[in-house]
Amino acid sequence: MTDLSRYEEFVEALEMLDDEEMRFEYILDLAKRHKDDPFPDEWMTDANLMHGCMSKVWIVHEVRNGRNYFRGCSDAAIVNGLVAMMTESFSGLTAEELRAITLDHVRKLNLGALTTQRQVGMMAMLKHLQKLGVNALATKGDRDDGLQPAVS
Amino acid sequence: MTEQIKATNQANFSYDVEAVRADFPILSRTVYDKPLVYLDNGASAQKPKAVIEAVRFCYEEQYANVHRGAHYLSGATTDAFENARVKVARFINAASDDEIVFTHNATEAINLVAASYGRAHLQAGDEIIISEMEHHANIVPWQMLRKEKGVVLKIAPIDDAGALRMDAFEALLGDKTKLVAITHCSNVLGTVVPVKKIVQLGHAAGARVMIDGSQGIVHAPVDVRDIGADFYVFTGHKIYGPSGIGVLHGRMEVLETMPPYQGGGDMIDRVTFEKTTFKEPPHRFEAGTPPIVQVIGLGAAIDYVASFGMETIAAYEHEVLTYANERLADIDGFRFVGTAPGKGPIVSFLVDGLHPLDVATVIDREGVACRVGHHCAEPLMDRLGVEGTLRASIGMYNTKYEIDVLARAVEKAKAKLG
Repeated sequence: MTDLSRYEEFVEALEMLDDEEMRFEYILDLAKRHKDDPFPDEWMTDANLMHGCMSKVWIVHEVRNGRNYFRGCSDAAIVNGLVAMMTESFSGLTAEELRAITLDHVRKLNLGALTTQRQVGMMAMLKHLQKLGVNALATKGDRDDGLQPAVS
Repeated sequence: MTEQIKATNQANFSYDVEAVRADFPILSRTVYDKPLVYLDNGASAQKPKAVIEAVRFCYEEQYANVHRGAHYLSGATTDAFENARVKVARFINAASDDEIVFTHNATEAINLVAASYGRAHLQAGDEIIISEMEHHANIVPWQMLRKEKGVVLKIAPIDDAGALRMDAFEALLGDKTKLVAITHCSNVLGTVVPVKKIVQLGHAAGARVMIDGSQGIVHAPVDVRDIGADFYVFTGHKIYGPSGIGVLHGRMEVLETMPPYQGGGDMIDRVTFEKTTFKEPPHRFEAGTPPIVQVIGLGAAIDYVASFGMETIAAYEHEVLTYANERLADIDGFRFVGTAPGKGPIVSFLVDGLHPLDVATVIDREGVACRVGHHCAEPLMDRLGVEGTLRASIGMYNTKYEIDVLARAVEKAKAKLG
């Protein structure tokens, strides 16, 4: 059974915050917490870059025991918070489980209030995570050698 | 509106900005329960009632395809369509309305020049000069031509303030220069390029000159005969007209030498399976059903801005820009990107220590619409050594009070994110 407990925590937390300003603060807090666990500079490579117009996002990925684990970061604080939410939500899933995540899961986070463009970015991020999971399944199989920069 | 805001917004000459604002219905809306402060005019401007009404009238009361059909509505729509061509020609002082080619946007107009003029007249080794501050629309079509024909792209540099380095530009000109394609006004820096001088120098070197007027047409009077360029392109949606309509002005003696850009209906003289002959410009370059309603809407937009006069609009916008330069400079850590003398009303900026996207996200929630990112000018970002900037681009309806709102929103972003 797909373990989406971390994702559900985010959904619940955001549901409880019905004030727009508080949701915004919540994302910023996530970003700050994310900052306390620094993303190594050597992972900030072009190969790990998700190309976007307004900010940079790097995602690294590994497969352990058939499950996908992600870490990521952004040069923009707010996006960093969103990256934390996405990578934590969907780490630990098999490629098959990952593929079953839909854009509705992103919509359920109800981040539209954080501007529509961010939601579009979140959806792009989901597709990127799914692609990494599927590519790993097709080309590499399990990799137990710790987090490695992913080749997208 | 308070008396204080009215006093802040008072222009130093006769220009009733509140009356102008009343002409733009969207400006009365709120976002996040805050009054909209729309400072993203460089990306696309809002539309006055006159344009909305022209579009409505066309769709509701007078619409048919143009240049064909013997019925009343087709004739009336064709008249309105061709009348808009005349309005555009007069607005930029073209020698004839036959020099006005309608495209779908400025990008398509540049692609038309590259594909038609470029393929017909440029050879391997011929040089095209562009500048460091071009929009991707004035870079990529030439790169595509380079790949196809082997032409050489030369890049005219800017100085640290964002002004074109005329000495360096002149040094690039030579026997091999066949085309200069350069912006009138940088969409990122607001730098106004001395296009008349560029044309004189380009022509003296034996080159054709194309000016990208996408921003330039919005902020100052444009007289294409005075400028003297072979091509001047712009888009309708930035000058308060509909989206989906662009303009290519070409000097007739140049347009006449150019083959069609696309093939299809409306651009042919006679078609047989053996051979097709083409119409004269401008129709040679307008294959298929044109953007009829958008053209008519553009005509209404031109009537609207012309009713104030571009000199008046330019003077007003300059006043707001001057206010912005003073007001925003007071913010600790505020950095202007692009400070060329005589620049247009486009303010690119950074806030020390903060990512532009984060600042944009906070100020958006204060109702302030700015652009953030590389503004389709990545080579310029590389030259400036930045990933992107925030950009507040001022239009004919923006006020000094709105600059105050922007300044307060930036202060709030600093407090929240710093």
